[in-house]
Amino acid sequence: MPPVNLELVEAFSAKAAIVNAVVQEVPSMAAALQYVVDVCESKAPAELLADEPGVEQGPLGPNKVPTRVQRVVAAPDLGEEDFAVLAKACEEKGFACLREGLRNRLAGIDVGLSRSLAGVAGSGTCLMNTDNEDVRLAGMISEIHIILLRKSDIYPDLPSIAPLLRERMNAGSASYTTLITGPSRTADIERVGAVGVHGPLELHIILLED
Amino acid sequence: MHEAPKSLSDYRKQMDEALQDDFLRRTLDTFAVSYRANREAVFKDVDERGLIAKIAEAKDYACQHMEELYQQFKEQAEKRGVHVHRAATAREANEIIARIAKENNVKRVVKSKSMTAEEIQLNPALEAEGMIVDETDLGEWIIQLRHEGPSHMVMPAIHLSRYQVADDFTKATGEKQDSDVQKLVKVARVQLRRKFIAADMGISGCNFAVAETGAVSTVTNEGNARMVTTLPRVHVAIAGLDKLIPTLDQALTALLVLPRNATAQRLTAYVTWMCGAGPCASAPDNKKIMHVVFLDNGRTEIAKDPLFSQIFRCVRCGACANVCPVFRLVGGHKMGYIYIGAIGLILTYFFHGKDKAKVLCQNCVGCESCANICAGGIELPRLIREIRSRVTEEQGGGAPAALLGSVMKNRKLFHSLLKFAKYAQKPFTGGTQFQRHLPAMFLGKHGFKALPAIASKSFRDRWPEIAPKSQNPTMRVAIFSGCAQDFVYPEQLEACVKILAAKNVAVEFPLEQTCCGLPLEMMGQRKTSIDVARQNVQAFAVGKYDAIITLCASCASHLKHVYPKILAEEADILPQARLFADKVIDFSSFVHDRLGLKAEDFTNSGERVTYHASCHLCRGLGVKEAPRELIADAAKYVPCEEEEVCCGFGGTYSMKFPEISARLLENKLKNIREARADRLVVDCPGCVMQLRGGAEKTGLNVKVQHIAELLAENLKH
Repeated sequence: MPPVNLELVEAFSAKAAIVNAVVQEVPSMAAALQYVVDVCESKAPAELLADEPGVEQGPLGPNKVPTRVQRVVAAPDLGEEDFAVLAKACEEKGFACLREGLRNRLAGIDVGLSRSLAGVAGSGTCLMNTDNEDVRLAGMISEIHIILLRKSDIYPDLPSIAPLLRERMNAGSASYTTLITGPSRTADIERVGAVGVHGPLELHIILLED
Repeated sequence: MHEAPKSLSDYRKQMDEALQDDFLRRTLDTFAVSYRANREAVFKDVDERGLIAKIAEAKDYACQHMEELYQQFKEQAEKRGVHVHRAATAREANEIIARIAKENNVKRVVKSKSMTAEEIQLNPALEAEGMIVDETDLGEWIIQLRHEGPSHMVMPAIHLSRYQVADDFTKATGEKQDSDVQKLVKVARVQLRRKFIAADMGISGCNFAVAETGAVSTVTNEGNARMVTTLPRVHVAIAGLDKLIPTLDQALTALLVLPRNATAQRLTAYVTWMCGAGPCASAPDNKKIMHVVFLDNGRTEIAKDPLFSQIFRCVRCGACANVCPVFRLVGGHKMGYIYIGAIGLILTYFFHGKDKAKVLCQNCVGCESCANICAGGIELPRLIREIRSRVTEEQGGGAPAALLGSVMKNRKLFHSLLKFAKYAQKPFTGGTQFQRHLPAMFLGKHGFKALPAIASKSFRDRWPEIAPKSQNPTMRVAIFSGCAQDFVYPEQLEACVKILAAKNVAVEFPLEQTCCGLPLEMMGQRKTSIDVARQNVQAFAVGKYDAIITLCASCASHLKHVYPKILAEEADILPQARLFADKVIDFSSFVHDRLGLKAEDFTNSGERVTYHASCHLCRGLGVKEAPRELIADAAKYVPCEEEEVCCGFGGTYSMKFPEISARLLENKLKNIREARADRLVVDCPGCVMQLRGGAEKTGLNVKVQHIAELLAENLKH
């Protein structure tokens, strides 16, 4: 494990902030999971962008579609122990906590949590192993996407992640890797910036100590 | 998609409509200014020139090894369960994709942005097979609802206002929609989510096809490409063969420039790397059905062309449109067919044919702004000129071109006609219309504004009287005058001679020199252009001089950069032409860098003097500091907004497209007025002609001169 390079951490945080990502430093995994629960609790109810059979619907949201009553957190690539802790905390709040089956929730969920393999300081980017469809969806259909990134996994620039990317591509028979830099955004109408066109409305990055 | 213009007059009419579109003008103006500043800011943390050189090298290599890279990609991708196809033509590509759709019983298709799909007109082809095709990039969806083509490669709906979008969304949803942009974006979020869920097949473009691993990469901000490539059971990626790149390292390097150039972002929100057919819960056996369709459509042929193969360095960032002063005025629908901007003018010729390109390729003012920022360092204006000469050659130039050729080949005839014009113009003094690139007068076309008359005595006729005598000179130089200064503005050259004589530099003026040939290039007259280039090289006894000074930035940039290229096949003269090109230097650089003029050489007048940076000086030759420092030495330099934006002259361009030229001039004059200067100096007689004419016409009380005149006036004796 390489030592934490504070300069890279600082540069990463600054660049991520420029693209409207919320960067948080927390002391432990437990604190990170608590952060996830807190974010989910304080956000506005998720809007149901499409039909979802059997779902309990709340009042119309700002975009004139029904909202979800039960809050949903998805964390498909969390380790078993951590997932158990998160699930328990969610249960206490009455949230659903999912590891799979996100195709049944394509109308939209509250919070998606995933782990980043590497950060890129030059652009505030997170490299994600999204081979698993549920992991991919957690970062796509959630209103708030939260990414866990270890400080020691931050690389200086894009070319420096080439070996990592290559290793992933050559490891199995198929891979799907995503680089994420800030929340989903567009400037397609009059070049006015807007976030959350298809993907998350917010992106939070939690920087973990090793 | 829109019609390509069929004739110049038809095209000018179309552009006139665009010029009347106040919304478009305002949007593109704001964009041009903010883009420039934002781009500069995000390039601060990387080595721009170094990266561009690396991209050019990687893409050139890829172009030369296209076949091997295709085989390597295919092998790697097939190993990972991907079907790889190759389509020779647009039609074949459409057939392949339609077949894939039918084989998989596809009814609904969602698409993420792909210029290649636009190139082959994929949507109508699939719709003809009864499929429903929805674009999911916000801008693409908007223009699909309007049945229009993109007006920018990266921002396809930049020509539309929020009100137009609100109307379109109202129609599409059957509900009245607010014109608030944030709300409109959310309408798309809701509507398109449903389309993603319902789709059987997703079609994406491809920014990089990485040969070493068989991976396809897409670069997006909205995240629609992730949806398109994840939710439906079938994924088809379409890629031009030019998207093949050997390694991941090269793709990642290109990614340092692509988003910076496209939208002034360090990186887009999402970059996906799809390497093989992975799990997919909506597919029958939980495995994605993945196809990659490579499109040739002439690419393997272009790849063999020693000059044009460089077009494959293009990464489709759209920056050549972002900085184009003409795009800024008329927008993308008038600045391309399907591909937009400078690269669009070129690609139209190759992908959509001469008929679509012959008029479009005329619409480049040659200001070099695009060449200066292109992610792959493509020599865009040069290639556009090359296309023009191909079009001219293929069509035959007609009688005016033949006449022009015979006049220009014969210097004595050309110069006597110019002198004759001096008499011919007499009855019309004040109203006579002239261009700096005087040969154009023989085409019988008229300019759009009153321009100065031919001088009563040309510089070459004054030379015997004014030629200074020097003893033990510090340097020996020759002047290349260019037509405009020789015949219209001899006083500019005299100012230069005065400075050189004062600093004990020996000056010669070889009389056999003629037009530099740039206007001929602009008109696609390659053959004659080579003829005059030879004459000029032969006119100068190159070995004798320390430098060949020219006061015309356009001539300088043409002599220096273009001569060695157009004379490359002329073995007898090439070595001399190279030496000639090496010795050519612009006036400001010579007096600043070589002569070392400093503040103490001048009596600073304190006069407020502003500057217009001629395109061929600041970009063509990369000279930026010298003239500004010289102004500050001789007077009070007051900077002006957008000093480096083209004044709209562009030689023969201003005659072909007078309306555009006039608008560019108008913007320029507005900025000059706001600088509140007493005098404006420039490094090019063409700009003097344009700006002085404009200042006079609009009653702008600013003296417009060549920088040499300011310096000569304030030089200490």
